[in-house]
Amino acid sequence: MTTITILRAGPLTTLQDEGRFGMLRHGISASGPMDRGAFMAAGAALERAGSTAIEHTQGLAFEADEAVRVAWPEARHIKAGERVEVPAASGNYGYVRFERELDIAPLLGSMATNVTVGLGGYKGRALRAGDRIALGKRGVPVTTNAAAAAEGPIRVIWGIHADLFPSALRQRFGEASFRITTQLDRMGVQLEDVAGLFRDQRRLTLVSDFIVPGDVQILGDGTPIVLMRDHQPTGGYPRIATIVDADLDRFAQMRPGTMVNFRPVAR
Amino acid sequence: MNGDSGAGEDAAILPLGDRALLVRFAETLSEDANRRAIAFAARLDAYPPDGIEEVAPGLVSVLIRTAPSVDFWRLSGELRLLVGNEVAAPGRRHEIAVSFDGEDLAEAAALTGMPPGAFIARHNSKDLRVLATGFAPGFVYCGFHDNTLVVPRREKVRPMVPAGTVIFAAGQTAIAATPIRTGWHVIGRTAFRNFDPAQDPPTTLSAGDTVRFVSAR
Repeated sequence: MTTITILRAGPLTTLQDEGRFGMLRHGISASGPMDRGAFMAAGAALERAGSTAIEHTQGLAFEADEAVRVAWPEARHIKAGERVEVPAASGNYGYVRFERELDIAPLLGSMATNVTVGLGGYKGRALRAGDRIALGKRGVPVTTNAAAAAEGPIRVIWGIHADLFPSALRQRFGEASFRITTQLDRMGVQLEDVAGLFRDQRRLTLVSDFIVPGDVQILGDGTPIVLMRDHQPTGGYPRIATIVDADLDRFAQMRPGTMVNFRPVAR
Repeated sequence: MNGDSGAGEDAAILPLGDRALLVRFAETLSEDANRRAIAFAARLDAYPPDGIEEVAPGLVSVLIRTAPSVDFWRLSGELRLLVGNEVAAPGRRHEIAVSFDGEDLAEAAALTGMPPGAFIARHNSKDLRVLATGFAPGFVYCGFHDNTLVVPRREKVRPMVPAGTVIFAAGQTAIAATPIRTGWHVIGRTAFRNFDPAQDPPTTLSAGDTVRFVSAR
């Protein structure tokens, strides 16, 4: 049996497949790749790919005890015992996929890791040096409809609490720039409200309601946070907008310090 | 039962991004809105319209995740026709034994003006419903207590309480099924675990089920 051994892993290196869908009624968000497009691209680079990727944040080093085909995202053939150095992705997250499945028991139908609640993937936690993962059966062909990398503002749809914000503030939300902070992980991305839009935000008492990835919530102190794949299933902070599905990958890859603009679009 | 809040047209159907929508029965938590949300989710489970990938009942709303090709306006029109005033039929009944020895028990009881013993007796005096599962895996909100047991949350959030912690605020009792942080009053603990990831489904309690808390011996 082929086994890979992790030699170096940055923080938040996790196993992710497409996601653990259908579990919201049990209080479990789907997790899955922060950048689905990049995840799919690494799979499509192989003739066949296992369903599960190693999602890494600052590069990865590993070795395999037998030769194996792998992609990150270009496909390569690696030799037995070769130390493989995967460079950091240009954004926040990169993906390493193998021609075979990772031999790890799925949990509730998925191999995705939710680090926040310690669920799934490799023992419910991030990977670290020394972890060993066996490779199982051959994967399946992966197709991807690679969209051209979009630029410009991140598109949003007004959120379920948008009407709680004054219209003048909503107008400014579509014009202002926000800075991606270093406070980012798979659960959420904290933004710096450079223009001070939400400076006078009052604490609102709302019924806790469903969260989806891409929701832009405003904390009681005016801090905007974009909720990501390992979000809490429900939450009680007001949500002004939700990033459209097609733009969430690009948002997830924005490095700390990047300025981001949101453009409201109609559903 | 108490479907007396007017016609189904009062439900709001809101986009939640471009891959989900929310059918919200009220903007504040009420018995009626909660029962209608649970009933509507059950109806969608039984007769799912095309293009729906997931349905989940919340405190006052139903989340509907949709396939990429689904037109929001078409689906919301279809859902509008399905929204009724029906309220959920009672679910299964569960008895949950609690050791009422939480660090905030005395404080919570004092807020209600009752000594702890009377508070516990009142707390356990009636059947509650599982209002929703949310916030964390297997975390359930149970309600509603009567008005004498409505107290605000604590000022401070406890950074982490273990699975099985029984917490109390806002006329409800909730059970942590995983370690969580909470601003609710910690009133006790239970051996009952509502979340087991090795089982599918991973939770025992469902929205709409009946819960009766009893004092552990």
